[in-house]
Amino acid sequence: MSPGIKLLTGAALVAAAIGYLAFLGAASSWQYYLSVDEALADAAQLEGLRLRVSGRVVAGSLSIGEDRRHAAFELAGDSHTLQVACHCLLPDNLAEDIEVVVEGVFIGGNVRGEKVITRCASKYEPYEATTTYDNVATAPAT
Amino acid sequence: MRLLGECCLLTSLVATGYAAFLSLWNVGSKQPSLSRLAAYAAFVGFASISISLAVLAGALAAGDFSYKYVADYSSTLLAWHYRLAALWVGQAGSLLLWAWMMSASALVLWLQRKADSELCRTAFGLVMGNVCFLVAVMVFAADPMAPSLTVAREGAGLSPLLQHPNMLVHPPIVFLSYAGWAVPCAFALGALLNNRLDNTWIALARPWAITAWTLLGVGLLLGAQWAYQELGWGGYWGWDPVENGSLLPWLTGTALIHCMLAWRHRDCLKKSALLLAVVTFGLCNFATFLTRSGIFSSVHAFSESPIGWMFLALMGLLLTSGAMLTVRRRTALVGSNALRHVLARETLILGSVFLLVLFTLVVMVGTLVGPLSKMFTGRFVQIGPAVYNNVVSPVGLALLAATAAVPLLQWGGPPTAARRRVLVGCLAFSAAVVLVAGMAGMQHPLTLAVIGLAALTAATLSASFWQEVRQRRSLPAVLSGGRRKFAAYVIHLGFACVALGVAGSSLGTQRKEVTLNEGDTLEWAGRQIHYVRLEQHELPDKLVAEAVLEASRNGSTPVELRPARHLHLLQNDWTTEVAIASTWRGDLYIVLHAGLGGGQVVLSLVDNPLIGFIWVGGVVTTTGAMVSAWPASKRHVDFTSSAPQTCSEEPRAAAA
Repeated sequence: MSPGIKLLTGAALVAAAIGYLAFLGAASSWQYYLSVDEALADAAQLEGLRLRVSGRVVAGSLSIGEDRRHAAFELAGDSHTLQVACHCLLPDNLAEDIEVVVEGVFIGGNVRGEKVITRCASKYEPYEATTTYDNVATAPAT
Repeated sequence: MRLLGECCLLTSLVATGYAAFLSLWNVGSKQPSLSRLAAYAAFVGFASISISLAVLAGALAAGDFSYKYVADYSSTLLAWHYRLAALWVGQAGSLLLWAWMMSASALVLWLQRKADSELCRTAFGLVMGNVCFLVAVMVFAADPMAPSLTVAREGAGLSPLLQHPNMLVHPPIVFLSYAGWAVPCAFALGALLNNRLDNTWIALARPWAITAWTLLGVGLLLGAQWAYQELGWGGYWGWDPVENGSLLPWLTGTALIHCMLAWRHRDCLKKSALLLAVVTFGLCNFATFLTRSGIFSSVHAFSESPIGWMFLALMGLLLTSGAMLTVRRRTALVGSNALRHVLARETLILGSVFLLVLFTLVVMVGTLVGPLSKMFTGRFVQIGPAVYNNVVSPVGLALLAATAAVPLLQWGGPPTAARRRVLVGCLAFSAAVVLVAGMAGMQHPLTLAVIGLAALTAATLSASFWQEVRQRRSLPAVLSGGRRKFAAYVIHLGFACVALGVAGSSLGTQRKEVTLNEGDTLEWAGRQIHYVRLEQHELPDKLVAEAVLEASRNGSTPVELRPARHLHLLQNDWTTEVAIASTWRGDLYIVLHAGLGGGQVVLSLVDNPLIGFIWVGGVVTTTGAMVSAWPASKRHVDFTSSAPQTCSEEPRAAAA
């Protein structure tokens, strides 16, 4: 066997092994990332699956436990809403009328949340202030 | 002033385009007057972009909300340095900064022109073309001088999460590195276009590549440190598309630098070097596409604009041009030296480059799984960190093993018997270190493997250095004659440190959530943690609530920790300010989640062993890279030599 063939065979084997490891990781960690409307449109197929649902917390629907480990709220899409009940440590900036992503199990058209992620104020997008300087006195205190 | 900024932007569009056209047109005709004219145009372009940048910076400093950009990203409540940092936080401002840095790079490149005028003229023209592209994107799609449509008396301000010292320097450093990567790419394309496929382009591009690689590495580490200190989840890397986007060019850039080395010493891996130079800069544009195209539905608030697709198109153009030119010049790119031995240095480099490229592909595919699944199946699928973590362990171990072995190998042949004996000694030392680590409580096999390989790296590097000192009988002679070689050793030592920190903090981390009352003491992870009290006070822009804790280990002097929660008044947003107690053994990381009344608090405790080695390794690597990138004196630079090195005990011409 020529050195070139040996080299190619070795490279192919390494590539196959790395690809297989990546596949194993993907198979164990993949999940759907859907909007509220997409999730409700395929509710029957998604029943019992782990997924991430993105939407907006409906104003007036948010209730947070005192220890910040429980929360319940309505998550709104463009035309539908679903109920979310979370049992997890909540992010600092969870509030009404903001975009969030809920990770959890889809049951009966609602989500049993295990993680709530508020959209990170990343670079390149202007910051959307949720209130003005005047009404800060009404903000919840720790 | 806004009109001045707008006019300067338009002037720079014309000037940079003119400079690019003249430079590239002049490559064949070689008229000095045209070359001078192109340089003048480039200088006008640079000056115009500088004025636009100064206008925007002035508007941010003065809080002139008649600019849409200022109204979107600044506020009078911000400290002056964060007002200035808003310059690179938004899309248009960051593009302006990037264009300014790239035009500055082009001018530096112009100063290099005497080294090889034909190659430098082409590279200069290509870089100026890129500056023109960036300015065009601003003029037509992301105008930093755009007026605000409403009369604002106060801006939206900077996100509280971005108000961190690292954010003052992280984005400019990353953009500077992206600007730097344009130059090796331009030299590679210039070498292919002009059929100048000797060592010249490597001699010219190498300092740029190492500088850009160093800056990108520093940028990645600063970003990771920001995530660690600011986001409050106890980690520093989440395999997010933003992070992956910047990691990709760093991986291929690492491969490129090693290919350049193999080309220079053994006249091999030539096609790989040229393609990697083009791919690396292409991936810088890909990273920009990822963050600005809106293709991701993610927890990040990605920008959605057409400019991302412009960067993707540029990447496509670069890759297609690079591939076509490489195919066209393929006969001239056949290396004169075949790989002779599996334990030769160039074979190890080939293996490492292959692994780096493979890992790049995994990260790229993993990042794009979501948008591709949406395109083909209609549903957006996300994959978790397990994909990358599964791959990074074997690839990282193999690269670390290569790093450990390389000082004792030589170009073109197997290591000598004397070096094999040294290697056996180093292996014995490494085994002893693993034994000690095991007895000290390290149990995870991967952590032990990394510790062993890191120890082996330190041992082989020290042995190689010592051998060199013994041969030359003079430490200064060794340090000056082999500056770049030993700088590379320092970089490798830094890499081993980073690997140690990553393995320790990933595999040995412990987490606990607790609810404590004032006066409670907790025994956890070998530490005594005493909760003293809860303090609350008001600052001009925020309300602060902080838990005062004291942590000690085995009766040592307690360290005070103050994890806090801040209510930012302008945004009415809470942020978590973590408290970290660092020692060489690891970090105690505490997050205050909530106050339950009566002084009772909910805390998250994280024990991150060895994590400090990541930051130390970063500093070591950066130091080595800066020494390596420092230009050699003129007597050491040989632009024309293409003679590959023959099999030798040790390459002495390390400075060449």
